[in-house]
Amino acid sequence: MAEARKSMIKFKPKKFKVGDTIKVDFIVIHPMETGTKKDKKSGKIKPAHFIDNITFSLDGKPFTTMKVWETVSTNPYFSVNLKVPGKGKITVDYTDNTGEKNSKSKKLKPKG
Amino acid sequence: MKRRNFIKSFCAASAVAATMTPSALLAKEAPKGGNLLSYDAAVSAITGGKAVTDSAKVSLTVPEIAENGAVVPVKVNIESPMTDADHVKAIHVLSTKNGNARCADVMLTPLNGKGYFATRIKLNGTQDVVALVEMSDGSFLRAAKPVKVTIGGCG
Repeated sequence: MAEARKSMIKFKPKKFKVGDTIKVDFIVIHPMETGTKKDKKSGKIKPAHFIDNITFSLDGKPFTTMKVWETVSTNPYFSVNLKVPGKGKITVDYTDNTGEKNSKSKKLKPKG
Repeated sequence: MKRRNFIKSFCAASAVAATMTPSALLAKEAPKGGNLLSYDAAVSAITGGKAVTDSAKVSLTVPEIAENGAVVPVKVNIESPMTDADHVKAIHVLSTKNGNARCADVMLTPLNGKGYFATRIKLNGTQDVVALVEMSDGSFLRAAKPVKVTIGGCG
């Protein structure tokens, strides 16, 4: 397995209650190479390298799945909403077109 | 478009159209197809030939002028109660002139609470950004907005 990429999950707003609808932001450091750029040094075309599948899940139950193409920017950012049903753990799994797999999780702690 | 790419995308689109039944569309899976799809091919791969209506329910937020085509923020909001019976099933973000028209297919569930998705995409020139939304009753809604790009983001 390739080394873990830097990634981050953010909840907006930071403080929320059960039943609130919050934003779940996911950011990952990834080149998202399109496969059309030339390497300036070697003159060869850089192979495509991009994230293609992302799954947002709550306690192992997926609530949003995404299929993504190389047209998404470098170091991509994805934001979806979630209606907080209670305590749990948000996990984001993602794979890229080279078969690299990674995941990131964060605890969901509603107050009140 | 180059001949080879055109044939490839055409084959992919027709293959998708042939294999995709309405029940396959209802399944919670992204539409398949080749990697280099033109806008029209991508739309037909997603909708399977169904009618698409422009709707005020879908609000698409993009910058009018993007100085850097490599980072164009896109925000999609859909008015929907998000109940089990009536919710947003999928949001497709497309561009009209990129080599690959498709940017992201987002499959939502009622747990999301709101029909919302935001990301950042690359645009290789001035063109329209389109949000194609599939509702749970199988209808397709659309919103499009032009974006002026000063420096393309794909070269």
